[in-house]
Amino acid sequence: MGRVIRNTYSLCPVCLQQIPAQQVQNENEIRLEKTCPQHGFFSTPIWHNQLDINSWCGSLPELQQAPPCPAACGICAEHLRGTCCVVLEVTGRCNLRCPFCFASGGGGMDVPFMELVDALQRLAVPGQTLVQLSGGEPTLRDDLPQIIVAAKNAGIRFVQLNSNGIRLAESKAYVHAIAEAGLSFVFLQFDGLQDSIYEQLRGRPLLELKQKAIENCAAENIGVTLVPTLVTGVNLDNIGSILQFAFANSPAVRGVHFQPVSYFGRIPQPPQDEDRLTLDTLVMEIERQTAGLVQAKNLLPSRCDHPLCGFHGDFVMDENYRPTALSKAAKSCSCSAAKSVTAAQNRNFVARRWLREKPALPINEPSESGKISLSRQQSLPASQSDSKPAADLQNLNYFAKRVRSHGFTITAMAFQDAGSIDLERLQRCSLHVYDHGRLVPFCAHYLSSWN
Amino acid sequence: MQEPSAKKMICYRCKVPLVPEKTYFHYLGHSFFTDIPKCPVCGLVYIPEELARGRMAEVEQELEDK
Repeated sequence: MGRVIRNTYSLCPVCLQQIPAQQVQNENEIRLEKTCPQHGFFSTPIWHNQLDINSWCGSLPELQQAPPCPAACGICAEHLRGTCCVVLEVTGRCNLRCPFCFASGGGGMDVPFMELVDALQRLAVPGQTLVQLSGGEPTLRDDLPQIIVAAKNAGIRFVQLNSNGIRLAESKAYVHAIAEAGLSFVFLQFDGLQDSIYEQLRGRPLLELKQKAIENCAAENIGVTLVPTLVTGVNLDNIGSILQFAFANSPAVRGVHFQPVSYFGRIPQPPQDEDRLTLDTLVMEIERQTAGLVQAKNLLPSRCDHPLCGFHGDFVMDENYRPTALSKAAKSCSCSAAKSVTAAQNRNFVARRWLREKPALPINEPSESGKISLSRQQSLPASQSDSKPAADLQNLNYFAKRVRSHGFTITAMAFQDAGSIDLERLQRCSLHVYDHGRLVPFCAHYLSSWN
Repeated sequence: MQEPSAKKMICYRCKVPLVPEKTYFHYLGHSFFTDIPKCPVCGLVYIPEELARGRMAEVEQELEDK
């Protein structure tokens, strides 16, 4: 019998009605438990006790009454976070048919261009907004460069492209066009270093195309952040390999953004307990699979969203492609987890890392051969990420230059689904989807029932 | 007119010229060095304003994260 450690509110996975929920501490895990008067009892693991959840979350206040989520989402006066990034779907079409797809992509249509222009003008806060062009697969649109121009003309500061990379690999001219239009950076779906992973998650082998996409973006000085969807039994053992690949391809690759799979949109079936990858397990897997090169203590809970929604680590890559942790001592304070940062602070921070510096000279290809290559991976060194940094990184001038050119982030976002949704978390969401004039928290927008 | 940092600096107390010397700074658990003018007698260092407001401030911002 578990012990209730926190009261909150959730939704019934079947009818999506709001219901009370409890975080229940068991011997080896913490579960979110809830009972729908109509559909019965539901329980899902949310933490595997590999890290102390209280230290991770800090002293956030517990919900005292039922919040208006998600019925009032859009966003309401009781929402506790501003908008860090805005997702804008530009098409429902897709050139893949993934078993997991939160957007249920494929089979849809393009959003009319003038409708997008209107949306961009409405959502833009000039000089500030970060918009993520999403889908479906945005690169299926031939007018994507014009959409990017429209975003920049609306005053949007950062334009991010969320892509599977297929067209980025196949057409240098297309990559050139979106770079010229003013694209800031790419979030590239990148699930591992084996084609068998892509065959399972995406329906076809894609590794070579992913490498080519990175190479083509590098040639246009577009920073790429790798985005693995992590699925138990498919690619959890690739966490270290993905990081190793990313380190070796800095600065073309600016970071890795892990997304433990969530069960909304198109899914094969609702999850079993063993399918749940919790943030604490992910943090410890990163440390284990990088042989301590990245340490758990350098991956810090989200302070822009709810701490259970993600983490971030800030690094600079040395000349041996080893990450040196930047954010460490400042976050060792026990109160740090509770301190939130504004959406603007978070946006400026991540954008600074994900952007590539404008080259003073012709762009250097990321490897000597000019090709992104698996052979650039090296075995992980034994030294620790927070050991004494290389002498050159202690040089003030060199460090300042290097962190601009070779800054690197390791981040994660744990999306919520009908089983795991916690309205305390939803109230603190800073990733919002533009939906007909409203900004809707991401997990509320894509929420789907398991019925 | 010379920039302040390029002028010959004299230690007010010891009345001797400052000389550039590799000097370490510590900030948020990190340690950095750069050459700055230092009195060879008493060891006091002079941090030029352009360094404090420029490179040092830049590095502080990078380390302060968000």
